[in-house]
Amino acid sequence: MTHATTPTLAGTRSLRTRFWANNKSTLIGCGVLVALMIVVPFTASSSVMNIVVFAMIFALPAIGLNLLMGLAGQVSLGQAAFFAIGAYTHAILLTKLDLPGPVAATVGVLAAMLVALLVGLPLMRLRGHYLALATLGLGFIVMIGVREWDVTGRTTGIYGISRPTVLGIPIDNSGFFLWFVTPFVVIGLILALNLTHSRAGRALSAVNDSELAAESLGVNTYALRLKVFVLSAGFAGLGGVFYAYQVAIVSPATAEFHLSVSILLMVVIGGLGSVWGAVAGAFLVQFLGEGMRDVIPAIFPGATGEVQLLGYGIVLILVILLLPGGLHQAATTLWQKLPFAGKRPPGDAHAHVPEDDTTIPQLPAVSTPVAAGEPILVLEGLSKRYGGVVAVNDVNLTVPAGSILGLIGPNGAGKTTCFNMISGALTPSEGTVTFLDQVISGRKPHVAAAHGLTRTFQNLQVFTSTDVVGNVYMGRYRKGSAGVLRGMLGLQSGEQSTHRAASYEILQSMKLSDAADDSASDLSFGKQRIMEVCRALAAEPALLLLDEPMAGLSGAEREVMAELLRRLRTAGLTIVLVEHDVAQVMSLADHVAVLDDGVLIAYGDPESVRNDPAVVVAYLGTDLDEAEAELNELEEHA
Amino acid sequence: MKKSRLRFIAPIAVITALVLAGCSTSNLGGTAKDDPAAEAGPIKIGAVLDVTGVGASLGVPEQNTLTMLAKQLNDDGGIDGRDVELTIIDNQSTEDGAAKATSKLIESDKVDIIIGASRTGPSLAMRPIAEAAKIPMISVAANVAIVEGSKWVFKTAQNDVVVLERILDDAEAKGYTKLALVRDASGFGEGVAEYITDLGAERGITLVMTEAFEPSATDFTPQMTNVRGSDSDAVIIWGINPSAGLAQKAYVQLSVNKPVYHSHGISNQAFFDAAGDAANGVIAPMGRLLVADQLAADNTQREVIEQFQADYNAAYGEQPSGFAGHAFDAWHIAVNAIEAAGTDADALRGELESAQWTGISGVFQMTAKNHSGLDATALILAEAEDGRWNLLKD
Amino acid sequence: MLTDFLQLTVAGLSQGSVYALLAVGLIAVYTVRHVINIAQGEFAMLAGLGSAWLAAAGMPLLLAILVAILSVTLVAIAMERLIIARVKKLTPLTSIILTLGVSTLLQAIMLLAWGPEAKGVPLFPGTNILIGGVSIRSQEFWMIGALVVVGGGIVLFYEKSRWGKALRACAEQPVAARIVGISPVTASVLAFAIAGFVGGVAGVVASPIYLSLWSGGVLLGLKGFVAAVLGGFVSFRAAIVGALLLGVIEAYVAGYVSSGLRDGAAFLILILVLVVRPQGLVLKPTAVRV
Repeated sequence: MTHATTPTLAGTRSLRTRFWANNKSTLIGCGVLVALMIVVPFTASSSVMNIVVFAMIFALPAIGLNLLMGLAGQVSLGQAAFFAIGAYTHAILLTKLDLPGPVAATVGVLAAMLVALLVGLPLMRLRGHYLALATLGLGFIVMIGVREWDVTGRTTGIYGISRPTVLGIPIDNSGFFLWFVTPFVVIGLILALNLTHSRAGRALSAVNDSELAAESLGVNTYALRLKVFVLSAGFAGLGGVFYAYQVAIVSPATAEFHLSVSILLMVVIGGLGSVWGAVAGAFLVQFLGEGMRDVIPAIFPGATGEVQLLGYGIVLILVILLLPGGLHQAATTLWQKLPFAGKRPPGDAHAHVPEDDTTIPQLPAVSTPVAAGEPILVLEGLSKRYGGVVAVNDVNLTVPAGSILGLIGPNGAGKTTCFNMISGALTPSEGTVTFLDQVISGRKPHVAAAHGLTRTFQNLQVFTSTDVVGNVYMGRYRKGSAGVLRGMLGLQSGEQSTHRAASYEILQSMKLSDAADDSASDLSFGKQRIMEVCRALAAEPALLLLDEPMAGLSGAEREVMAELLRRLRTAGLTIVLVEHDVAQVMSLADHVAVLDDGVLIAYGDPESVRNDPAVVVAYLGTDLDEAEAELNELEEHA
Repeated sequence: MKKSRLRFIAPIAVITALVLAGCSTSNLGGTAKDDPAAEAGPIKIGAVLDVTGVGASLGVPEQNTLTMLAKQLNDDGGIDGRDVELTIIDNQSTEDGAAKATSKLIESDKVDIIIGASRTGPSLAMRPIAEAAKIPMISVAANVAIVEGSKWVFKTAQNDVVVLERILDDAEAKGYTKLALVRDASGFGEGVAEYITDLGAERGITLVMTEAFEPSATDFTPQMTNVRGSDSDAVIIWGINPSAGLAQKAYVQLSVNKPVYHSHGISNQAFFDAAGDAANGVIAPMGRLLVADQLAADNTQREVIEQFQADYNAAYGEQPSGFAGHAFDAWHIAVNAIEAAGTDADALRGELESAQWTGISGVFQMTAKNHSGLDATALILAEAEDGRWNLLKD
Repeated sequence: MLTDFLQLTVAGLSQGSVYALLAVGLIAVYTVRHVINIAQGEFAMLAGLGSAWLAAAGMPLLLAILVAILSVTLVAIAMERLIIARVKKLTPLTSIILTLGVSTLLQAIMLLAWGPEAKGVPLFPGTNILIGGVSIRSQEFWMIGALVVVGGGIVLFYEKSRWGKALRACAEQPVAARIVGISPVTASVLAFAIAGFVGGVAGVVASPIYLSLWSGGVLLGLKGFVAAVLGGFVSFRAAIVGALLLGVIEAYVAGYVSSGLRDGAAFLILILVLVVRPQGLVLKPTAVRV
């Protein structure tokens, strides 16, 4: 649903800052949802009504979990724990302290978020399986906690929660309750939708595609994930608050594992990453559960209890095996097959970018924090060992600003390892990397990025879930400032549009604007490589690390790339490149460093390196044919 | 643009049409056609029982009993010519489930009276909902907290206080002065330690230790190890089956060589199933159902019990448990009151407060102050031997 | 007091043996497929309920147990073939959802087949003994014995046999395993078969005193996971020690603090370990990130 209608370019349509609903499809969707919720109490039977009310309540934790799983790529099997914390806090404040409803509800949501923050601080450092099982353990801890604590009413729980009163009207029936809960679900939905389209949301999905690339563009993965985890708990807490109101009792069952499973199922059915899917999933799971409770005893006489789990289990497996994108995927596929479904509106953006080969494209901005010739990057005694293997051995190197350094060497010489230590992807065994007078070695890649160091990757790290311009846009991450909160409130369109425009300009400089709106994964290998360079340039770095930027490029593309790099150097950018194409390096670089077996064997201007006997031996020593070929190539070039 | 505006107008038009058409407003607290407190149409009795989950050994026979009795009643022409519609909802032995089920019975099914739940926790969860809706409710669970101070809630299982008095009297007679308690951690076991301390004081009995177990527990080694190490003279295990039976089994396996009492929560076959030979020698207070054949011929309850046993056995091919008896009593008390006072909630409640009934669990005498209606004479002491109960003391 | 302490220790060790077998199953699958099998506990419950049912139907105890364990092994293989192997790119996210789906499905099947009540396999032959006031139930010998024989056997298999070594190699380098002569498919099936087998053994030996319940597998499997984490998730020996430790700690918490907090202790340990040594838990160091 959302995919087909997501505006490809929120910003270019209007620079006006829009509050709440960010686009037409959201508006229509919410309109339909609200209209349905208004009508349902008049038409639905009481059992359907009951299902709808609980679907709306559970839509909240489902939206939250969807943000965590779809956006942040983290599985939580303990969403019910936060649901329970919200419900219990609310119930206790209402029944024992007689606080007014809004206060109790707010504290309930905050309590869930606070607990999420406290457990998230350590847990968010874990990945994949561990987080899932740690949250599963957390769910059990919360259940045991409320069962053993007098304040939470032990096994019986908190009962006697009175229904809320809004504007003097007691909400004492399902219809009123549905109207009471709907605005909150709609607001939650809009906030979540805004977040997915925001700077933070895009960063998170980039992290999902390639954590390494996202971090090297300045995304602090840990902090963002933690924020989303806390946010997700807030949604669950709010759901708990409404649950306490509707059921009038909160018992340890609210923290049950099976509840976490059903919330997870809502997200999976709806489609990971699709906010509307989570809401649809909530409805589907409620109806499925109710239906199974009726159908299964008819098929298996005498079946009692939580027989709906049969359906849950089968659906979980089948969705992942057959329809990993859930309802969202099904809806999108269906939509595209409809005859009247238009293609995505042509990006009105590249209308204003005249495609003309003869014009010299505008040069992307670069930052020049130090004068040309001053040292910008210093490697001192840099070493990396894996067990007994020394990959990089005591490399000392100084890179002057405003120059291009070519790093060459036979396969396995330690070039990429060097790069990884400079960019922060690897921690050196010994030695330091100093960038702009700051020691950045051993820190996370986003720290290096924050100082103005950006890189590309030998093994492409493309953000496959977005389009080409979306990839380049991610390069602008560090230039933006809108956080999770601003993103949710939709208060960043202005910022987004500026960066959008900048992204298009960069694409144009590499003659890639034609493909701007294509899916990044559809691009040819060479184009993806160019796109990665564009993405790195979008960050306006002071130092650009290019890991084999020419590999897979056509001759013409190489020329464009080389020309761009030269102009960038002229503009003051410092570039370090690892390249197999020795000829290209020799023609481009101001200085060349040669690594062999992890040792820096030569350093100097291209001419002197070319004639350095050690280099010749190094190349000869590895592979005779290859070395000969490369030497010939050098000769030709000379 | 025109098209999109249409998209907004359409639903609004639909809503308006629906509202104007005056659809059912039963979801909005309005009165449905068949709702009026008028004395016509079927009489609706709702039940919320622990049919599955840890309370299943209680809820299933209760469900059987109610289903059987409703059929009997309708076959006999109902109440004053009105059919009785019985709706039983399984609360899955959870408090949440009980609360949801109660709301559903009241809001959607518009029942006149509610029976249930099987255990204390779910019954406590139902109580405020029934009270807020002013619908009479008869619980079949034990803890006195279910009815204490309530205007609308009644119960048919013997009060835990009465049960404890019976146990403590026996303990005093046998000269035990120090007791250990191993109790159910859920609602059924709550408050038991306090009662023993209070009631024991006048008998010179002190409670030296309390251990708890979840109704879903299967391993009782730590609790029984601690009990074994205590200096108590006798032990009270207070729970329902299967956990109480399993606790008894662990008790014997771990060689805790002390006399043991159980509560009336074990009065069913499930106890012997779970405990096996370990059940021998257990003493427990209970209603007269399980020892009916050993009762004096002139016992007032004997006739009703034997009739019930025959009916239940004919319908389900097994003997009813004490819990079936609680449901049996709740049903008859409810039906008698409806026969006398109709389905008007206030009148019905008033009638229940003066209910008198010679039933399975004892001779009930409800009053405005006593919504439980049973005293210590409702209980006998029985001892387990080879899978059956022997009457010790009537 | 010492008697109580020893009694709790015995109870903890026998419970810990069950956790240890589950941890062995979890690690076997994890090392080969990098999947944490949430359905591991269900294997145990399935075997327990199955053999209890067969025994109640009149099958001799030994036969009932063997049939149940073999069936569960087949279920585990079926799970690998029909579900896990069908996913091309198994991310942590999809593997968790899939094994959770299998876990939920197995629970529902057990609920439908055998009802909501806990059931127990008849006690294995043997007599309870009383040493210095400490009562050791015969079944507890069986549980500890099962760990020694089956757990020990698996460890030997992994460390001594060619296939076992190949399975271990799979964790580090699939190509290396191929060189030793085991295809990734065989390795994966074998790993799941081991998981099903040890899960089944754990389920039947524990069932006579801890009973088997349709919904009991999640908690049990999670305890196995805690044990595996204590063992660093790579070493069978460390995980077995971790499991026994966990069982004993639980027993002490239940005996000396409160029986209600018993499960809480396990998860507190889990979270503490994850917090204190998160980096120590990752199977492979993050060396190969690019």
